[in-house]
Amino acid sequence: MIPPFALARPASVSEAIATFADAGQDAAWYAGGTELLQVMKMGLARFGTLIDLKGLPELRGIAVDASGALVIGGAVTHREIERSSIVGRELPGLVGLEAHVANVRVRNQGTIGGNLCFAEPHSDPATFLLACDAHVELWGAGGARELPIDGFFLEPFVTARTPDEILLAIVIPKAAAGEGRAYEKAKFRERPAVSVAVRLRVAGDAIVEAVVAVGSMTDIPVRVPEAGTALAGAPADPSALGAPLAAGAEAMAELDAVGDLDGSADFKRHLAGVLLRSATRAALSEAIARA
Amino acid sequence: MRETVELSLVVNGRAHPIRVEPRETLADVLRERLGLTGLKISCDVQVCGACTVLVDGLAISACTYLAADAEGHEVTTVEGLARAGQLSPLQQSFIDAAAFQCGFCTPGMRMAATALLAENPAPTRAQVVAGIEGNICRCTGYVPIIDAILEAAGAVDAAGVSEGAR
Repeated sequence: MIPPFALARPASVSEAIATFADAGQDAAWYAGGTELLQVMKMGLARFGTLIDLKGLPELRGIAVDASGALVIGGAVTHREIERSSIVGRELPGLVGLEAHVANVRVRNQGTIGGNLCFAEPHSDPATFLLACDAHVELWGAGGARELPIDGFFLEPFVTARTPDEILLAIVIPKAAAGEGRAYEKAKFRERPAVSVAVRLRVAGDAIVEAVVAVGSMTDIPVRVPEAGTALAGAPADPSALGAPLAAGAEAMAELDAVGDLDGSADFKRHLAGVLLRSATRAALSEAIARA
Repeated sequence: MRETVELSLVVNGRAHPIRVEPRETLADVLRERLGLTGLKISCDVQVCGACTVLVDGLAISACTYLAADAEGHEVTTVEGLARAGQLSPLQQSFIDAAAFQCGFCTPGMRMAATALLAENPAPTRAQVVAGIEGNICRCTGYVPIIDAILEAAGAVDAAGVSEGAR
């Protein structure tokens, strides 16, 4: 059974922050509960107060801001993202990703902000958002700040967020002309065994820029700059990517992979190379459509 | 003294006034306090689907859902599927297709399938497979369960409920 706690339901972010301050170090933010309630059940964490963020209007919406960036509230569920026509139009790769996070019950309950703040190394959204150059908006006792998602994850289950800070929203830049963003994973159980995200931009007949991220493989989801470099300059033709993809796969094979129940480190390095191919082709196809 | 909260828990269309501790899960409250033992607690970590119930029509894991969070929402359990002594089309099709052996996963399977069919009354076989991906059955090999859900979808159509939904 979950150890006893008090449940607070603030009506606004400022009230939530005041509630956290009153509770001292003994409070945790609570949204979908798909991770927090599990670790509390297992006795890995104990809090005197859970502060429920699900109802806060500041964390609830999906919108496009003045710069054209996609803004997703921290308490938006995976299922709401999957079903959002705005996300479908602005970032279709995220809809496809969200449709396959864990299982339908987790998607109905779990939130994107909770997923990122829990920082499970096998997070689906973390890897994709890393390639998409997203940033997170935080608000805590010391005021508001923005952090790039590249650098937000410090180690497994640890982020740059301080305990008093709420993840208000995730902001994903608008796709540039000729830009495509895709995510592919291999999954045998609830979480990915390995996942690869690719963002690339085409101009004329060539890929001029590429960012590659890999998840569920190293300690935390990481960008693989050498794989991006291998793709930059390649022809914007899915049938002519053999050598760049082989070079990219070699870069993946250099990573400090961690074996787990889903496979050995060697197997994961192999999968990463395979997934790089499919993610690159998917991103290229979207990029050409947007060119 | 531990904090408790007074709830009016609406389950299968009926309101139950009940006082719970915030830490009590919906699974425990439904089973131990309301006697609705159709849902099962198995993995207790939101992986197996045996505790699937609906909250406002959406499938959730009652093992990882605080009862206090159900306040203001409609909970549906497997006990709420039959109406006036009539099995739901899905319950009947599970019998017709012999879609269970030990029966432990069956309540969760039916609730997952109920949510799936409410959202998509005429699913393809692949959509049914995807819809019950998170519900584990160790007896049947899934084939009769998928058949039963597809058969129920046909029954829904025959009743005219999903006319035009295709």
